[in-house]
Amino acid sequence: MSSMTTMNFWQPRSMRIEAIQPEIDGVFTYDLQLTQSAEQTAYQFLPGQFNMLYLPGVGEAAISLSGDPARGDIWRHTVRVAGRVTDTLAQRRVGETLGVRGPFGQGWPIEAWCGKDVVLVAGGIGLAPMRPLIYELLRRRTEFGRITLIYGARSPESLLYSAEYISWKRGGIEVQTTVDRASPDWRGPQGVVTLLLNRLPLLRPEQTQLAMCGPEIMMRYTALSAAKRGVSDQQLWVSLERNMQCAAGLCGHCQLGPMFVCKDGPVFRGDRIQPLLATEAL
Amino acid sequence: MEFHCGSLGRPAHEGVRPTVKTLSPPPSTVCSPLWLAPKERLQELIDTLRTQRYAVVAPVIDQAAIVYDEIDHIDRLPRGWIDFQAAGHYQLQRTDSDRWFDFVVGPHSWKKYLFPSRCVLSTGTPSPEGWQFESTSDDAPAYAFLGVRACELAAIQVQDRVFLNGPWVDPIYQHRRSRAFIIAVNCTRSGENCFCVSMQTGPRCHTGYDLALTETADGFIVDIGSERGQELVATLELPAAAQEERTLADLLQQRAAAQQSKRMDTEDLPQLLMENLEHPRWKDVGDRCLSCTNCTMVCPTCFCCSVDDVTDLNTGEVERQRQWDSCFHEAFSNLNGRPVRNDIRSRYRQWLTHKLATWHDQFGTSGCVGCGRCITWCPVGIDITTEVAALREGST
Amino acid sequence: MSSATTIVHSPFLDALPGQVRQLLVPLMVSKAFPPGDVLFREGKQHDDIYLVTQGHVRLEMYVRDRGHLPLLTAGPGDLVGWSPLFTDQPMTATATAMDHVHTLAFDGRRLQALCESNHEVGYHVMRQIVQVLSDRLVATRLQLLDLFREHLPSRSTIDDEC
Repeated sequence: MSSMTTMNFWQPRSMRIEAIQPEIDGVFTYDLQLTQSAEQTAYQFLPGQFNMLYLPGVGEAAISLSGDPARGDIWRHTVRVAGRVTDTLAQRRVGETLGVRGPFGQGWPIEAWCGKDVVLVAGGIGLAPMRPLIYELLRRRTEFGRITLIYGARSPESLLYSAEYISWKRGGIEVQTTVDRASPDWRGPQGVVTLLLNRLPLLRPEQTQLAMCGPEIMMRYTALSAAKRGVSDQQLWVSLERNMQCAAGLCGHCQLGPMFVCKDGPVFRGDRIQPLLATEAL
Repeated sequence: MEFHCGSLGRPAHEGVRPTVKTLSPPPSTVCSPLWLAPKERLQELIDTLRTQRYAVVAPVIDQAAIVYDEIDHIDRLPRGWIDFQAAGHYQLQRTDSDRWFDFVVGPHSWKKYLFPSRCVLSTGTPSPEGWQFESTSDDAPAYAFLGVRACELAAIQVQDRVFLNGPWVDPIYQHRRSRAFIIAVNCTRSGENCFCVSMQTGPRCHTGYDLALTETADGFIVDIGSERGQELVATLELPAAAQEERTLADLLQQRAAAQQSKRMDTEDLPQLLMENLEHPRWKDVGDRCLSCTNCTMVCPTCFCCSVDDVTDLNTGEVERQRQWDSCFHEAFSNLNGRPVRNDIRSRYRQWLTHKLATWHDQFGTSGCVGCGRCITWCPVGIDITTEVAALREGST
Repeated sequence: MSSATTIVHSPFLDALPGQVRQLLVPLMVSKAFPPGDVLFREGKQHDDIYLVTQGHVRLEMYVRDRGHLPLLTAGPGDLVGWSPLFTDQPMTATATAMDHVHTLAFDGRRLQALCESNHEVGYHVMRQIVQVLSDRLVATRLQLLDLFREHLPSRSTIDDEC
């Protein structure tokens, strides 16, 4: 903790874009590398954490790390164009530099899930902050019980990282995908993720942990479905999105009740966060 | 680089009572109060501080209000002036008395210097190798604050918890705070909007100062609060304060406490507020509130801020700057371009519940020190003590 | 197609009181549909109500200038085609088996008659159907909200990232 408190969290480090991978429409994955050569430990992060990507003259955006935490040479981020900063980032090319502050936030509490069945529920771009978790669970596969990913997107073309699902399945994760709008050749289910969750046999609900990332309303109804199946909100983990500016709990923007989403989250246990999410305009 | 371990859904600091770092060590020996008289000798204190390269900041009059500014001479102090404050009302009046510190607090607070309203966080310079980033060193002088009231000491300690005791330390606050020399003043008069007695933050200064002055008729009682304070007054060779003066000082402080008419019942207040987030009073106050942000600007503990970029068109250098912001700004709670708190009611609720309830969860104390500034400077005269009383009524 | 001699578990049936369930058993028939088979067609009358026990059923509606539009996939545990229970109204969607589908089928008229003559049974059956429809409605609303619609960069006065 001490070395962290002496670090100036306001100061960006310069990173170069090593690769840009177009994902689905309007979404890109950036591989970033420090311009000053650095220790491999400089790239360490916990699944669920995020960085502040800084385009000087334009601004910063909070972007979840979306790559493999075991990689010690780059930091990977999947970005959806959603505002001025990400729109400008979408015009950057390989070789250009930007500033990065981070990593920030509380990650997914993987240690608490050892020996348990894990259900991951993601919606839309919410699969990006979950991918590092998936990699970590795959690497440590034998430490967990049954692992299922339920992923919902708008349409078949919007399924993020679709080329990887086969390797995740091979690694021992059951992958179920569903879409809101099916195309004629779509052979998979159509409908919201809660429908898939309802059909998922939970062999031991009291030993099941459920992690969610997606639109808040989706997570709310998933929590309700989970509760009906005997998965309490103490067994739920959500990753929240809020307006982040300082990322250190010191500017007030991301405040939700007593929590600063950037510092106390973005991953929260369900029971701590449900009453806050249930209050409108909090 | 170390990284933060995820906790089991609890904030990292939960369960650990934040302890405020003692920024200046206590005096090496127990000191009895000293006597600084005549009052004009205060100039020697100022001069000594200035020779030690402190910029002395003290109350002055500017635009019909008593604010804080750098001074070099006691002539700039508002000697003989007092302030009349009410909800949405502030007026100065000159008296014939030789009272130097009978006024209370104005629209400025010491956060103006410790948590400046605008500062540069880092600079980005374009180069052939790409962007180079540097933290700019803070070029502020070491400040000596002259005239810090008990509520303000409490406010500084509240902000110490915010900026120094979390998992991330603010380097600018830390730098300025560690060098700040604090000369407190014990209030001998309370203003109409003061309620530090209710908030248990005053009017007496107990801790957190280098020196504390109490003004009597003929001079100042000087209490020493730290080694630094001790060293400074040593150069002035002050005698011990006489018992009559100390008794008079006590009486004046008690009178100040007794003068307070505003009260806030803080018992179980955090729980009460958070269990009544749909109380009709929120709409009532939301209809009156203009969301003008005055209260947050004058509040000595508010710390919301925003960052933006300032580009030098000649050099291409970009400064990342931080400036005060307010949860009352409509865009402050924007999420994907739309405010989460999209009406004044929800924004007022955010401010009050943070100040009086969730601040406890975050930092272990109330965010309010009872200074009354928000009441004085609200253009429509909203009084948080009244609002809290109303929320208690009809609460579940 | 054979009549059910043993009770196959279905959440719908499991939620009913035991005596009610016993009375429904004689009305139940196992029906299976190979991939591509149509269970019922939009606009036509149909006799059966189905509880899916295995496999997936695509529900779709026909819009003249857009063709057959898929709406939803029903799966194990889901009830499809409840219209026969109520009146002679035609089916409101076409249901097609996406893979090997196994169902428990109820003749709508017979079930309706049972509910009419035995209000205890009627109450529990209707209550359970209300629960199913309520859940389906919420799911449909969530789909309708189009939560994963791409956010276009905001060009309004609030020109911020968040």
